[in-house]
Amino acid sequence: MHNLIQLSIIVLLLPLLSFVLLIFFNRRLPRNGDFLAVGMLGATFAISAWIFWNVIVVGYDPAFKLTWNFNWIDFGNVPGVGPLTIKMGILIDNLTAIMLTMVSLISLLVHIYSTGYMAGDKYYGRYFAYLGIFTFSMLGIVLSDSLFSIYIFWELVGLSSYLLIGFFFEKDSAADAQKKAFLTNRVGDIGMLLGILILYSQFHTFGYDEIYEHIKAGDFHMSQAWLTAAGILLFMGCVGKSAQFPLHVWLPDAMEGPTPVSALIHAATMVAAGVYFVARIFVILTVDALHVIAFIGAITAFMAATIAITQHDIKRVLAYSTVSQLGYMVLGLGVGAYSAALFHLLTHAFFKACLFLGSGAIIHAMHHEQDMRWMGGLSKKMPWTFVTFTLATLALAGLPLTSGFMSKDAILAGALGFAEVEGGGIYYLIPILGFFSAMLTAFYMGRQIWLVFFGESRTHLKPAGGHDDHHEHDEHGHHEVHEVPWAMRMPLVVLAALSVFAVYSPDPLDGAKGWFMHLVQTPETVVTAGMVSENASAHSVSEMQHETVMEESAADLHMNEVVADENVTEAVHSEIDGSDHSAAATHANAEEHAVTHNAEHDKLHGDEHHGPVFDDPRQAAIAHATHENHDPAIMYSSFMVALGIGLALIVYAFGFIDPEKTAQRIRPLYLYSYNKWYWDEIYDATFIKGSLFLSKLLAWFDSNIVDGIVNGLGALVRRLGTASGNFDHYVVDGLVNFTAFFVQTSGAAMKKIQTGKVQTYLVMVLVAVTGYIVYYFFQLMP
Amino acid sequence: MDFFNTIGLNHYLVISAILFGLGLFAIVTRKNAIVVLMGVELILNAANINLLAFSKYNGGMEGVMFGLFVIVLAAAEAAIALAIVINIYKTFNTVDVSSIDSLKE
Repeated sequence: MHNLIQLSIIVLLLPLLSFVLLIFFNRRLPRNGDFLAVGMLGATFAISAWIFWNVIVVGYDPAFKLTWNFNWIDFGNVPGVGPLTIKMGILIDNLTAIMLTMVSLISLLVHIYSTGYMAGDKYYGRYFAYLGIFTFSMLGIVLSDSLFSIYIFWELVGLSSYLLIGFFFEKDSAADAQKKAFLTNRVGDIGMLLGILILYSQFHTFGYDEIYEHIKAGDFHMSQAWLTAAGILLFMGCVGKSAQFPLHVWLPDAMEGPTPVSALIHAATMVAAGVYFVARIFVILTVDALHVIAFIGAITAFMAATIAITQHDIKRVLAYSTVSQLGYMVLGLGVGAYSAALFHLLTHAFFKACLFLGSGAIIHAMHHEQDMRWMGGLSKKMPWTFVTFTLATLALAGLPLTSGFMSKDAILAGALGFAEVEGGGIYYLIPILGFFSAMLTAFYMGRQIWLVFFGESRTHLKPAGGHDDHHEHDEHGHHEVHEVPWAMRMPLVVLAALSVFAVYSPDPLDGAKGWFMHLVQTPETVVTAGMVSENASAHSVSEMQHETVMEESAADLHMNEVVADENVTEAVHSEIDGSDHSAAATHANAEEHAVTHNAEHDKLHGDEHHGPVFDDPRQAAIAHATHENHDPAIMYSSFMVALGIGLALIVYAFGFIDPEKTAQRIRPLYLYSYNKWYWDEIYDATFIKGSLFLSKLLAWFDSNIVDGIVNGLGALVRRLGTASGNFDHYVVDGLVNFTAFFVQTSGAAMKKIQTGKVQTYLVMVLVAVTGYIVYYFFQLMP
Repeated sequence: MDFFNTIGLNHYLVISAILFGLGLFAIVTRKNAIVVLMGVELILNAANINLLAFSKYNGGMEGVMFGLFVIVLAAAEAAIALAIVINIYKTFNTVDVSSIDSLKE
């Protein structure tokens, strides 16, 4: 076993140990054992960082991969299935190493933060235990090497999110939210399970690598539609966990959990799990499945952004913003911008965790006031929070010089390239929705910053009574607002520092030059069979592309890159046109080129963009178009962000437009957004009412038909019992009683002749003898 | 009428039967235990007469011997029976056999 594998197993098990120790012994430990949880997580993070150092910094190899597995269960030769063994194992590649560090770092920061935020809570120790099992489950997802083990950890994440969201379970709203989250996730998980089973039925294995190889070898014997179905079903798991439309409804309600938990669940871990999973199965997704994913992502991004602009609750704005950003990631995966989507996953995890923890600090300082309408003027009272929160907000809005700018831009460029390759039309909806959401993001984050940190304090404006459903010591807003303790300030600073561009790339305008995009490259799709229809579109695209390349090649700074792309384009041409070029030769040429390019790249260490070289014509075309669209994407998105922030400033800072009056003027739209597109109501009217109706129907069936049969049988048996009882009572007992009665009466009669007087007996003897003699003589007579 | 001219076996038997009947009658009807005992004696003697009569007309001595036995037995029986009667009197304070019915219980 490689020592990195051993270390990763320790990383996986430490949080579990923390959970086990704390859940059983937290009351017996000093400080309820929080030092234990923080210490364990510190160790987890240290080991993860060591793995990160070895894999990412020392290794710096895009193809790095380490696997290890063992037979977990061996069922032997199962009739009708064949040899059945289930393996468990660990897969470490660059993505795993990065995710591992990200998850354990954010979990560690949340642990530290929670020692301040949760201080004095009744179930303080139990809280840290739950954090432990959550971290364990998430690390399990990251380290899984097969669909089987990821499903186990997937469900564990579901369970631990249930525990954490409902941590304040004494509040009804929290208990409802945890149920909602769990049930909504179940819907997605069913799809995921079905997808896993489709793949298993074909290949009899759960391991990612085996499945990819089988598909690549064309072992999938059902029609392509089944592979698409498998992809979409697996994606359903992501729809549930990553809160995509239409299963996004649980995430905003999950804000009922403690705020650090929101940071952990909704920024770094649980919601990232869905995106991570789609990235893992990315190579087996068919084009149709990718289209579905792209549209779902775009719709989610746009819808959540429109909802976020009207919410009053500070955490709810962030929740919808999270949904929106997850939509971006899913959109990115759908359009094939794999590394961009994962890059966004990483950057988003840090700045969104910073925002959530910052909002937690604000809520803590405001004595559990969550409504932004009653905040304001906090920038002077909480300078640290203000600065870090603003930095993270800029990253989220996607301003240049931040991490969010690079990653969001890469996704949007990918979306533009995708739309171009797919031939425009309806596919342009995806980048358009993406850009529009970018503007909305800038707007609602500007609104939030302004409402919370600037202007005058509005705590006194809060109507008395009103909605005191937050916490017990809620009703007083007139306590002194103060900066939070260092345990809560430090994580904010760390996370804000990780939202700066320099961590990821030396060029603030191009994330593709950074280490992340170099190490996590879009993998080659393994779905090749039945791609005939794709070739036609690839043809036209490549033609167009070819021309562009010719025009720009002289001026283009990225010479090597263009040549590589040109080679690919030619490869496409030769395949389709059957020209003199030998496709194989050209392809080899391209590969060779890529290799030398890699070598150069390693020397320059990230100074120049280069993408992987694809065999698949569609992927190659998208990669090229994405690269072409990089600059326009930067331009458009900067424009949209500037527009959004400008609008926010106009409305909230300068007061040129009164938000209240505007809301009145476009009241239907405002209400549509404020009520979250009425999704809760729609689900309430359809699924919940529907299932309640179904339940009532079944209850009726149960109580009338099933119970009727049972009761009828009961009554029948009772009748039979009564009849049998009567038979027993009257006939059997009657016989016995009659015998007794007969003996009794005859005895009573007979006892009268027993007088006890000798003379009577003698008379009887006399009579008998006389009778006998008389009889005897009558006998003798003829 | 030959029956009245010569005394034969039948005459003895008739006497014996009458004596037996009287004895039985005394046992059944009398209340006094002593009288009942006397009835018993009568029955014994009726039997004796029969024994002797059959002995005479059969020409052996067995009947006479049995007669002697019965007389001895009767004497013994009378002695025992009288002792019983005395004990009955001691126990029940009466010798009225109709009121002595503790056998019933």
